Amino acid sequence: MDIHIPEEARQQPDAAPPVRLGVRGISKSFGPVQALRQVQLDLRAGSIHALMGENGAGKSTLVKILAGMHAPTAGDLLVNGQARRFASPRDATAAGVAVVHQELLLFGELTVAENIFSGHYPRTRFGTVDWSGMRRRARALLAELDCHDIDVDTKVAALSVALRQRVEIARALNQEARVLILDEPTAALAERDADRLLDVVLQLRDRGVAILYVSHRMNEIFRIADEMTVLRDGQYVGTVEARDTDEARLVSMMVGRSIDQVFPKVEAKIGRPVLEVDHLCAGPLVQGASLTVRAGEIVGLAGLVGSGRTELALTLFGITPARSGRIRIDGAEVRITSPRAARDAGIAYVPEDRGHQGLVKSMNIRENISMAVLDRVSPGGMLRRAEEARIARDGFDRLGVRAAGIEQVTGELSGGNQQKVVIAKWLETKPKLLILDEPTRGIDVGAKSEIHRLMGEMAQQGLAILMISSELPEVLAMSDRVLVVAEGRITAELPRAQATPEAVGHAMTRRSDPGTRTGGSQQTGARA
Amino acid sequence: MLRRHTHEAVLALVTLLAILVLSLQSDQFLSVANLLNQGRLMTEVALVALVMTFVIASGGIDLSVGSIMGLSAILLGTFWDGFGLPLPLAMLAVLVVGTVCGLFNGIIIVHFGMPPLIATLGTLALYRGLAEGISQARSVRGWPEWFARLGQGDWLGLPVQVWILLAALALAGAILGFTRWGRTVYAIGASETAARFSGLPVDATKLAIYAVSGFASALAALIFVARVSTTRSDMGTGLELDVITAVVLGGTSIFGGRGTILGTALGLILVQVLENGLSLAGVKGDGTIVLIGVVLIATLLVSTLTERRARA
Repeated sequence: MDIHIPEEARQQPDAAPPVRLGVRGISKSFGPVQALRQVQLDLRAGSIHALMGENGAGKSTLVKILAGMHAPTAGDLLVNGQARRFASPRDATAAGVAVVHQELLLFGELTVAENIFSGHYPRTRFGTVDWSGMRRRARALLAELDCHDIDVDTKVAALSVALRQRVEIARALNQEARVLILDEPTAALAERDADRLLDVVLQLRDRGVAILYVSHRMNEIFRIADEMTVLRDGQYVGTVEARDTDEARLVSMMVGRSIDQVFPKVEAKIGRPVLEVDHLCAGPLVQGASLTVRAGEIVGLAGLVGSGRTELALTLFGITPARSGRIRIDGAEVRITSPRAARDAGIAYVPEDRGHQGLVKSMNIRENISMAVLDRVSPGGMLRRAEEARIARDGFDRLGVRAAGIEQVTGELSGGNQQKVVIAKWLETKPKLLILDEPTRGIDVGAKSEIHRLMGEMAQQGLAILMISSELPEVLAMSDRVLVVAEGRITAELPRAQATPEAVGHAMTRRSDPGTRTGGSQQTGARA
Repeated sequence: MLRRHTHEAVLALVTLLAILVLSLQSDQFLSVANLLNQGRLMTEVALVALVMTFVIASGGIDLSVGSIMGLSAILLGTFWDGFGLPLPLAMLAVLVVGTVCGLFNGIIIVHFGMPPLIATLGTLALYRGLAEGISQARSVRGWPEWFARLGQGDWLGLPVQVWILLAALALAGAILGFTRWGRTVYAIGASETAARFSGLPVDATKLAIYAVSGFASALAALIFVARVSTTRSDMGTGLELDVITAVVLGGTSIFGGRGTILGTALGLILVQVLENGLSLAGVKGDGTIVLIGVVLIATLLVSTLTERRARA
């Protein structure tokens, strides 16, 4: 693998733009664990540098060093060519480095304006907070980010994740950042919100900000990045220019082997209907949904955020029981009033929010895998530890979880391995229908393709799979049939052959009532 | 094993140290008679604390235990002396009332989604108010001999209530450590959402925990009345603080998900040893309270630091 550090950046043929932040031979160890080894990269003004690597590759550690949260064990940070030490996040901010962390660090109970200016409120002559000036400047900052729809007086807790992120970026800009670091900013966003965010990032680049962009999403990286640096197991693998590389090469740099297919689709024999849903209604977001999933079939559920995709799954799983409508499993009608009833009917649900809904993170792998079948491993109430350990080890081996053993606490595992534990837990219930909600969100490339392979195997064994995903390529590649959800109903059904990105995208945005689309077209038009 | 039970190990060491130091200060401290008497005195707090371990490990709290104890004591007098019920029946009725009081806490928390701290703060006032209203400051005396034995008598060389306590201790330890219900309690405390999404019976478990907490408070009331031979509406005032101190000292996380019956037992013993040993050594009551506060904070600090080191 050739290591290549570009001498001149693109677009400016005359002179290379100045290096705002240079990373030279940075290493970091935590006790005996070497988290980073000899990492180097250059962030140039007006250029976007992508940082890539699987989970555990050391990306977050590097981000934390650049943010002043960790001190490197060896190596130098050069700010505008001069070696600097960041003893605290305050030093990094003073040097013009701003970081938007993956888990947003905002104060939910404060307003948008207060968050943007937290720590350095503008003052009046009398030393009191200049509230009106603060609101005015907050509005101006958000307007620069093409964000006219945020009221600076609302509490941040009331905003969507996408808007909160915008606030966080505004805060970074307010600190006169010359270097902006974005740690997986789109991980929690739907496709459309992610698009808007990318536009903002490009706009900041054009203003001369040096940007480090950490992400798993290949299509994003290729859309915006000028160069990419890949880390693997804490090692610096190399830096490549976007125009000299392609997806396959980057993936092979990241995983250390080449993956022929990112989405391996295995053909399975499709049998009789397992799940039949007829006019299901629950809450405001499930409004008469009807669908069928057959044995051995993978059905993709596509739809925008707020279309009722997840809500439909939660109704089938008994978290929000149905108000009306019918659910049949293997032809027999079932009433699902709780997750327990769903499990007993043969429905398993791998939830969207792995850390919160899927796992008890402070418990170990054994305790998590046995959790959905706890009554089976404790006849008469007494836990049979040996039986429990056997079940856990089975699931652990079958899914290829990479961990020290079944006694390891699940909170210490990477996203991909956590997801495997959640899937193992639900496979142990011997389900007929498996609902997967965003099965590969926030998971690195290697684990992602393993989970896709597993889905194929499970379908081959006759399991009916209903998959919800915001990643259209995933839906298209994995599904035998795509169902589009809008306003709580199934509005389109596309067999695999007809499910093109255009067809699905069109069905997702089509509204039943065309009258709702009048007005407000100014922004949409500008962005299109 | 040691990594998982660092706190219990630290606590056992502190307890042994306290016993050693205090036994040098007074000859009476380590006498059999004194130790048995201490067992008798700690039973009421201990019974409630065993169940409180479940409550706190599930991420909840029950502040109304002292008030349920007061109400139960008063009702025992009213049922027996006022309504003329046979005493065994009155005792049974009191246990039922205590359980219903706890169940009511559980219903407010589970079905109306009220935070346990607020819900039981409300019923703390409610049940105490009921106790005072019903008693009208009267107390009932003249309990039969067989009933008084429950609080004052001995059986096979141990105070009667210590046998009850030992049985409850074994039962609670077995349930929390080795059964499905114990595991469910930990799962709810660590992440109620994940427990629900795993199909565990979250609501039923929480209702049961609060109901049993009420039952334990009523049982403690029966033993207390038998021990002091009278009923008063202010019985059990401040009990919740003694109970929570012992449970937290025992290493149960106030955020839920962690805690053992062994830890709670050690916490109870340490508090009782300090109170008794210090008073025998001539330390005044307020000095004892200060020292218990210091020990609580110091022990938790030491065990947090040790645990962190074990992890690194």
